[in-house]
Amino acid sequence: MVPKKRHPLTLTLLLSLTTLLGGCTGAGQLLNFPFDPIGGQSLNSMGSDLSPAVSGRYLAFASDRRGSQDIYLFDLTTRRLVDVPGLNALDMLAADPAVAEDGQTIVFTGSRQGRTGIYLYDRTTRQLRLLTSGLEAEVRHPSISADGRTIAFQAAINGQWDVLVYDRNGRPLRVGELGP
Amino acid sequence: MLRLDKVLTRLLGWGCLGLLTACLSGNQNLGPVALNSRTTDEQPALSGDGRYLAVVSDRNGGRNILLYDLRQRQFITLPRLNRPDAIAENPSLSRTARYIVYIASDRGKPEVELYDRATQRVEVLSTGYRGWVRNPSISPDGRYIAFETSRRGQWDIEVFDRGPGIELDIAPGAPP
Repeated sequence: MVPKKRHPLTLTLLLSLTTLLGGCTGAGQLLNFPFDPIGGQSLNSMGSDLSPAVSGRYLAFASDRRGSQDIYLFDLTTRRLVDVPGLNALDMLAADPAVAEDGQTIVFTGSRQGRTGIYLYDRTTRQLRLLTSGLEAEVRHPSISADGRTIAFQAAINGQWDVLVYDRNGRPLRVGELGP
Repeated sequence: MLRLDKVLTRLLGWGCLGLLTACLSGNQNLGPVALNSRTTDEQPALSGDGRYLAVVSDRNGGRNILLYDLRQRQFITLPRLNRPDAIAENPSLSRTARYIVYIASDRGKPEVELYDRATQRVEVLSTGYRGWVRNPSISPDGRYIAFETSRRGQWDIEVFDRGPGIELDIAPGAPP
């Protein structure tokens, strides 16, 4: 059988059409990070890897890869985990992390002895601080601004969830209710 | 000598003008509004610049994403984001809250959606993606979106790059 000769113009047209369509729809793509089932040194592991928060080159997340649920910090540029000494405590379940853009401040929900609190970890000083020490309420789901100065979270107040906004020293900003 | 009808017309005119200005100024200077309501307000997400706060609220009868300006202490409308037949949850904001990513459930399966406040348009990012998705997070510049996926039979994290061609969310006055 004689192969049907395709007109070069049709081919060019087809090619340009695909590039055009590709430019329109295929603008985004999933990034491929290595999966490390044994060493647990990458973004994903054999355990549950939860609640990602991306800011600048950093991605904070929670994982139970070492038997207890802890907070991890991943550097998207070097594609490695960053050390966070003093962040995870043996007796605390950590969840819902958020990270400032420079990767120096991480906030998260910590559960310890039946009580939850919003904790702030400073990577420069390696200090962990409880932000909500004066608050008699269950708390969850902190969020931090890119400069690391403002923190919002939800708290069970008067039998329902409300949203509170604090500065990084644990001082409440009065937005939840109408105040002076 | 002034005629009575002339005086009346003038009075009526001033009255109308007064009413009009009262209405206009009333619309422009709405007083501050409280962030929290008597229903559930949860899943707060701050914008990168710390000025805006997205919350999921039950206050309007549905489960909707609301955007609050912490400086003006007012809510900002988000046309076409919340739909009556969908639940919107897990919001995350870019630097000046131009981009909002969230989970919407109206097609039988949760999808990661991106709302652009500049164009007021919704883009479904997880179209054709196999697996359950949860908890999306957008970078302050608006380029990267991380989310949870069930694709490997457990919860893993996936990062989506919107590409170099997008308009980044840069604070006004900041160097590019």
